[in-house]
Amino acid sequence: MSDDEETYDSRAHQRLLQAIGSLGKGQHIQKSTRDERQSRQDEFQLVKSVPVTEAEHGPRSVGLNDLVQILRTSTKHSQTGKKLKNVQSTRKLLQKPLEKPQADRIKRTIGYEGVTKKLGRWDAVVAQQRSAETQIFPLPSETIYVNTKANVRRLNTSLKSNLAMELQKTDLKLRELRKAQIGDTTDEKALAEQESQLLAKKLTKDELFARRKELAYLKMRESQKSAKARMQNKIKSKKYHKLQKRQKIIEQMKEFELLQKTNPEAALEKLNALEKSRVQERASLRHKNTGTWAKNLQVRAKYDKEVRKDLAEQLAVSRELTQKKEESESEEETRNPAAEDEDEDYDPFNPWTKGKAAENGEEANGDDEDPNWRKYWTERNENEKLLEQHRMDMDEDKDEDEVKEESQDSEEGDEKEIVLPSKPKQAKKTTKKAKVLLQNGWQVEKVKPEKVKTKKEKGNVQTKSIEDIFDEQNDVLRAKLTKKLDKLKKQVNQLKKTPVKGKKANKKDALKNLQDLTFKKKKQVEIDEPLNYEADEESPKNVPEVQESSVPESVETPSTDTIDPNKVATIVWKQKKTNSNGINDVLIDDEGADYEEDDVAADRQLTISQAFEDDDIVADFNRDKTKDSELKNTEIQLALPGWGSWAGAGISKEVMERRNKRLLLKLAAPEKRRDENKDNLYLNENGSKQAREHLVSSVPFPFRSLADYEASIRAPIGRTFVPETAFRMLTRPAVITRKGQVINPMDESELVKPDRRLRHVVDRRIKRLPKVPSKIKKT
Amino acid sequence: MKVKMISRNPDNYVRETKLEHHKMARNYDPALHPLEGPREYVRALNATKLDRVFAKPFVCNLSGHRDGVSCFGKHPKQLSQLATGAYDGEVRIWDLANRTSSRHFVAHDGFVRGVAYAPDGKLIYTVGDDKTIKVWKADAPDVGEEEEPVNTILSRYGLHGISHNRKGNSFATCGEVCAVWDEKHNDPIKTLKWGVDTLHTISYNPVETDILACCASDRSIILYDQREAQPLRKIVLTMKSNKLSWNPMEAFNFTVANEDCNLYTFDTRKLQTPLKVHFDHVSAVTDVDYSPTGKEFVSASYDKTVRIYNAHHSHSRDIYHTKRMQHVVCVAWSLDNRYVFSGSDEMNVRMWKANASEKLGVIRPRERVNFNYQEALKQKYAAHPQIKRIARHRQVPRHVMNAQRKMRLVKDKEQVKEANVRKHSKKGKVPYVSEKKKHVIKEEV
Repeated sequence: MSDDEETYDSRAHQRLLQAIGSLGKGQHIQKSTRDERQSRQDEFQLVKSVPVTEAEHGPRSVGLNDLVQILRTSTKHSQTGKKLKNVQSTRKLLQKPLEKPQADRIKRTIGYEGVTKKLGRWDAVVAQQRSAETQIFPLPSETIYVNTKANVRRLNTSLKSNLAMELQKTDLKLRELRKAQIGDTTDEKALAEQESQLLAKKLTKDELFARRKELAYLKMRESQKSAKARMQNKIKSKKYHKLQKRQKIIEQMKEFELLQKTNPEAALEKLNALEKSRVQERASLRHKNTGTWAKNLQVRAKYDKEVRKDLAEQLAVSRELTQKKEESESEEETRNPAAEDEDEDYDPFNPWTKGKAAENGEEANGDDEDPNWRKYWTERNENEKLLEQHRMDMDEDKDEDEVKEESQDSEEGDEKEIVLPSKPKQAKKTTKKAKVLLQNGWQVEKVKPEKVKTKKEKGNVQTKSIEDIFDEQNDVLRAKLTKKLDKLKKQVNQLKKTPVKGKKANKKDALKNLQDLTFKKKKQVEIDEPLNYEADEESPKNVPEVQESSVPESVETPSTDTIDPNKVATIVWKQKKTNSNGINDVLIDDEGADYEEDDVAADRQLTISQAFEDDDIVADFNRDKTKDSELKNTEIQLALPGWGSWAGAGISKEVMERRNKRLLLKLAAPEKRRDENKDNLYLNENGSKQAREHLVSSVPFPFRSLADYEASIRAPIGRTFVPETAFRMLTRPAVITRKGQVINPMDESELVKPDRRLRHVVDRRIKRLPKVPSKIKKT
Repeated sequence: MKVKMISRNPDNYVRETKLEHHKMARNYDPALHPLEGPREYVRALNATKLDRVFAKPFVCNLSGHRDGVSCFGKHPKQLSQLATGAYDGEVRIWDLANRTSSRHFVAHDGFVRGVAYAPDGKLIYTVGDDKTIKVWKADAPDVGEEEEPVNTILSRYGLHGISHNRKGNSFATCGEVCAVWDEKHNDPIKTLKWGVDTLHTISYNPVETDILACCASDRSIILYDQREAQPLRKIVLTMKSNKLSWNPMEAFNFTVANEDCNLYTFDTRKLQTPLKVHFDHVSAVTDVDYSPTGKEFVSASYDKTVRIYNAHHSHSRDIYHTKRMQHVVCVAWSLDNRYVFSGSDEMNVRMWKANASEKLGVIRPRERVNFNYQEALKQKYAAHPQIKRIARHRQVPRHVMNAQRKMRLVKDKEQVKEANVRKHSKKGKVPYVSEKKKHVIKEEV
């Protein structure tokens, strides 16, 4: 080893080190050259950039400084040299590029954001598609079809527009006029002269200006007016129009009143015109809630109180209109007695029959009815009481015959009176007659004066001569009365025949018929108002007298077959509900009903508590509850006496007893009722279990409230229950595809397409329906 | 001589015309029809029952393949043509109207992995296990001519799927990388890679045609844009996704068929949670395809059933199965929204009605009106328990029923356990996690 150390050559070692040091610096791989397009670069073809240190050894490459040095030598280029130097000194080094994964991540994020934005464009289209009532696939394209048949009608290919033609025409006209004025001269000077002459002849300059101003003013006014009218026409507010109409009517009324004072004949004419318009309106059925307007409102009615009010008003108007119709009908009936024969029991004061009539007319005016019929029944009961009392008196006297005579007398008297030549006296006599009737113990029902009698009717009456009216009325009355008389005789005979016990059953019917006599009151002709008032004033005076006498007795003997009006009040007037329009019913549902029957409900609440003042409802209720379980919890002896009871030896008493015990059937203890501890609750446990499994237990998804769901279920969709158009609309399928047609995916043109024109009639109708707001309410 | 003549009274066989009908005005006043509600209910009940009575979805069986069917290609223009690829490399073109195979050829060595038609319907692209893309004419060759591909492209990477852009002439393949090709070039225009072993399936968005999506073997779904140099985003689910299908009417929604028996519908813009998880299959879901209306999709599963889902519901609307149908590998919904095709392991392609009880053939206007009415009634009363029960009832194969029972048991057990753990731990420590959030593990940027 020492030899080796000796042979250590420092220079050789230095060289070796140098060689090792420069090992990695050489570039062995050549730069590649490409001759074909390549998207990928091979990593082996990448050549390392030449390091700085190598520059010292190898042939020195030209640097910027060298260039600058060279440029300095000549004055010509010194400026450029300076600039270069500046550039070099002010240059900024670029940032080191990010790590590859990081850079990629940024690129990906940016790319993804771009895509999300691009996809976001479709939101509106997709939302529209999803919410569409009916989707038709393939999506209809906006293709224009041109009929290319040879014999097809030519397109209107005139190049001149209508306006141009119009202009041409006016131009021609102008020219002709000018020709007529000036003549056929073409000399301009002459023309100018003529023109100036004409002008001078006609107007001075000031006049012309004034006139023009006036014209301009007029034109402006006209345009203003037309603009105003247009604006007013455009106003969609129903309320506005309604108010306007009302105002117009008020104005007309004022005018009419004025006319009445000044010119009665014209007033009469006007009245006729008004009547005609009213009739027209009535005939048009505009005030039913079946019009488009009303239907639209019905949809909104659920959410908008104002609209509800409008609807109610509308209904009220229609009711009023049809009410009048009824009255006229009844008048007609009274005029021809033949019609009267058909329904003998028809009693115009009986709200029940009246109600029936209203039903027939599809008109439920329950609000008005309620007080009417109650009063009717109370009065009727009072009448009955009176009658009873009277009869008791009669019994005491023991001469029933007199009753008959009296009644007959009264009838005959009536007849006589009416047969008399009709003169204004007649009205007074009828009032007397009422008194006579009262003596008999029959109370005549009070009739309210017809306040609603309109001026028109009065006017009509006035047109006839009074005598004519009387004659007419007399005939009618006579016919009626003779008929009545016959009937009455029969009834009295019947009453006589039946024993006292049976009377009670018959009494009611008899009474009913007897009370029909009250017709007479109504048939009084209104000749003069004061007379009528007299009659009205008189009857109430009479009533209290009778009542006073009747009260103590009636308390003692409450008749069994009187109808307590308040009890009747608890009967739910079902027909009234169902009578209303079906769709209306569905749309308005509970809240609507609440609104409509607000007052009625309050009324009813009162009457229930009033009705059962003397009854113990609670007891009744509890009895009902316990009734179900009465049979249970008892013991039934099944052993029949003598059966199986053997005698003789070997038969012990104990065995017999045991047997008897066995034959004792003990029923199970009553099941606990579900409503046992709930005093105010009665759960009907007899409800059908079969029906229960058909009932929906929870409100399904798209619905939020039970009421909504119920309403949707309640509305029928079949063509047996709704008209054909509605049926088609309700059963339009959600998705329609056509056989044998390829459905292409959505196209970008869908983004910019305007709303498609709906081809199908039903689709168009559905679109025209008012939209129901999706957000209903928060409870 | 007695002459016998055939004489018929036309009244017996000629139907009344419209003019002969006496038109009866009908009073629609609801007061006159007090039982309209119950009557409609009964009608709805009957309609539902009839619907079940007429539910015969199976149309026909297309047999001819000599190995399991692996993939479908729908003709974009013709409804009567369908291309199928099989495990033995054979491609068959079916004439659906006549229910026959109009043409067949061996396209690849090994599996045919994907079949796709060009948007004009003139060319067929197939990819196979032999790393080649072959282009075929859609029209059958003339008599005497050999079946030869128009073009054969050798790929550097393995290929697992192909999808053609609906517009333009680019198509994309997946395998080791996602490659975007131009019809005119033999080299890919772009290869997109994101550190994944294998991409099984690729699908172009039919609406926004630059966007692609792939399902990868590392349980991820990757989104691409064919114009970008980089992939866009990746989400990783708990299990592998087998197939992906874009909604043709809603550009941002797609559904994946997952190995964990579920399908997931995603919104491309919110990938953290799926919009909907679709349950009901009892084994891995192998394929999914949207109906052209974008309202429903059909899924094929390893449990030998085909199910149809509403895209917004988590449970299936219908299930199709036959005794002989084995593992269903691929499924397709016809472009007229009427039929569903399923290809299965046992070499058969089956054709089903998309709507089980729909009447085939001519439907007269009156019939149509009646069907519409029945449909409306069914929808109106859908929530009623009896109707719901009848409409929902399906006969399923025993193995499916057993598997369902087992799965339910497992799920219940897990729920009970979770509830117990929650009960015995500190409040808020075991949070409630919604079903949707359980399946996406992470979203990678």
